[in-house]
Amino acid sequence: MPTTQKGAGDASDASIETRHAEALLTTGALQSAIFNSANFSSIATDAKGVIQIFNVGAERMLGYTAAEVTNKITPADISDPHEVIVRANALSVEFGMPIAPGFEALVFKASHEIEDIYELTYIRKDGSRFPAVVSVTALRDSQNVIIGYLLIGTDNTARQEVEDERKKLDQGLRDQQFYTRSLIESNIDALMTTDPGGIITDVQKQTEALTGCTRDELIGAPFKNYFTDPGRAEAGIRRVLAEGKVTNYELTARARDGAQTVVSYNATTFHDRDRKLRGVFASARDMTELKRYEHTVQQNEIQRGRDVAHAKELAVVNQELEAFSYSVSHDLRAPLRHIHGYVEMLRVATSGQLSDKAQHYLTTIAEASVEMGDLIDDLLAFSRVGRAEIGGIPVYLGQLVQDVIRGLEMAIHGRHIVWQIAALPTVIGDVSLLKQVLTNLIDNAIKYSRTCDPATIEIGCSGEEAGRVILFVRDNGVGFDMQYADKLFGVFQRLHRPEEFEGTGIGLATVRRIIGRHGGRVWAEGGLNKGATFYLTLEAAPLSIGATA
Amino acid sequence: MNRLKRILLVEDSARDAELILGALDPHQLAGEVVHVRDGAEALDYLYRRGVFADRPDTQPILILLDLKLPKVDGLEVLRQIKGDAGLKKIPIVMLTSSRQEQDLVRSYELGVNAYVVKPMKFQDFVEAVKQVSGFWAVINEVPESLGRRENNGA
Repeated sequence: MPTTQKGAGDASDASIETRHAEALLTTGALQSAIFNSANFSSIATDAKGVIQIFNVGAERMLGYTAAEVTNKITPADISDPHEVIVRANALSVEFGMPIAPGFEALVFKASHEIEDIYELTYIRKDGSRFPAVVSVTALRDSQNVIIGYLLIGTDNTARQEVEDERKKLDQGLRDQQFYTRSLIESNIDALMTTDPGGIITDVQKQTEALTGCTRDELIGAPFKNYFTDPGRAEAGIRRVLAEGKVTNYELTARARDGAQTVVSYNATTFHDRDRKLRGVFASARDMTELKRYEHTVQQNEIQRGRDVAHAKELAVVNQELEAFSYSVSHDLRAPLRHIHGYVEMLRVATSGQLSDKAQHYLTTIAEASVEMGDLIDDLLAFSRVGRAEIGGIPVYLGQLVQDVIRGLEMAIHGRHIVWQIAALPTVIGDVSLLKQVLTNLIDNAIKYSRTCDPATIEIGCSGEEAGRVILFVRDNGVGFDMQYADKLFGVFQRLHRPEEFEGTGIGLATVRRIIGRHGGRVWAEGGLNKGATFYLTLEAAPLSIGATA
Repeated sequence: MNRLKRILLVEDSARDAELILGALDPHQLAGEVVHVRDGAEALDYLYRRGVFADRPDTQPILILLDLKLPKVDGLEVLRQIKGDAGLKKIPIVMLTSSRQEQDLVRSYELGVNAYVVKPMKFQDFVEAVKQVSGFWAVINEVPESLGRRENNGA
């Protein structure tokens, strides 16, 4: 261009530029560059907003030809109407005056000489939409009167997409962080991080619970402050720093309210991407339950130890008793047997030479030794009952009674006894011990009814008591005075003189002990010369067993 | 002549021994009895050891054995005899004060031939000793290898 070349040769720089600008305008070079740009939509309107110029970029972005819009519509007609309303409302509030939701809303700021660039959704001819960034400028004449507006827009789709993508990534990151945080928060252990100096940098809820302090209080405070032994807590941190980790380091946490919790402290160091030490990640596991469990186990161990010791003691005592009764049966009976034996041999050796009185003395000595032998036997039997294992099998009482009566043949011999034996149930118990019970009771009935002719002995059941059957043995003999009824079952307790009725006074005591060990009870009813009835309760066998008896 | 004794009585109590001999006396069996005072002596006798080294080699046809004995007790004597092929055929009768179940069970486990509890009354005692000894020493037949009866009268 000749003008430019000339200016560059002989004029000052400032005056040359001024002249160039004038030239640009006059030649329309700038105008044509702007209006032919395909990357910017340039829309010029008159002062009322009616489109006057619609450039190539606008045609390309919006799908209208210039002819279709020029002198026909305003830019508000190709903008999202909802956004226009929102913008109008916002401006009304900002400027304190009503601004109509139309073209005015799009150019209000520019008309007031405020630079205005905003985001707006343009609607294409085909109805599709795209985000645009629009810059609005008022066009004025030489008297500074607005004659129109220029709206330059760029398609913001690409940027919007990037923005959306970034938002999505941010959301993903937040989700990830939320997830990680949730994991940390939901951990049952108290978790915390400290910097290398032992200052708390992060905690979760469990740590707040453990210390009784809020997150804000904890962060920034020295870790060691929350333990009963701060020195030991600090040593724990030092050890983590020195060794990279520490496991099962026992500490006692102290909460604000003074509550103490024994915790197992486990920690590792953590580093940033450059392997630079960032701090310590620590978990404090509440050991209270474990300690309590351990304590219980320990107590149980101790108790078990005691039980074992006690059982051993019992076993020793039992063994001693066993040895004692063995000695009694073996050693105590021997001298008695000797007394009896030598008395008898003496009687034979002195046959015919002793006075009646001397004979009587010998007889008495012999009888006394036999009595003492019986006493020893009964006492042994009595003591065995206390120690014996009680068997628990079905015992057919009917059959057992018959066995017992057969065994008492010697006592029955020469007697006239009327037996009234009812059908008897099957019970649960120890056969040999129950046999002893029946033997003692029936033997007593035979013995104490020997003044009667005939004697009547009745054996039967009289109902139930607390789920147990009541068995009774009744005789019509000498009976007893009810006021001594409680004495009947005591050891060595007798209601008759030995001259009247022989006996050791242990039989009924043994009965009571055996029935007691079977979980039942015994009692007696009677009257002087009105007979006696002995009752006892026993566990009935289940019907299925009784039925097969 | 050294008369052969057919009954070995193992009894630590002199009184019991006297009573047993007294019980056997009316039946002409007392003279058949060798009385030893403890389990060790009993084994010495049977194995012809110690003071019994020179006794004739005929074994008794009955052993009356007390349970509770000094040195070697009755159950141990029983165990050794019944465990010896040469002695186990000799009938052994436990004659004891003990009616403890475990003594009975153990004795039978070891192969005792009879178990008699010494009765309290002398008459019963005499009767028991007489019956037991009479049965085993007179009625019961033993193998030839044991004591030969025809020698006894000599």
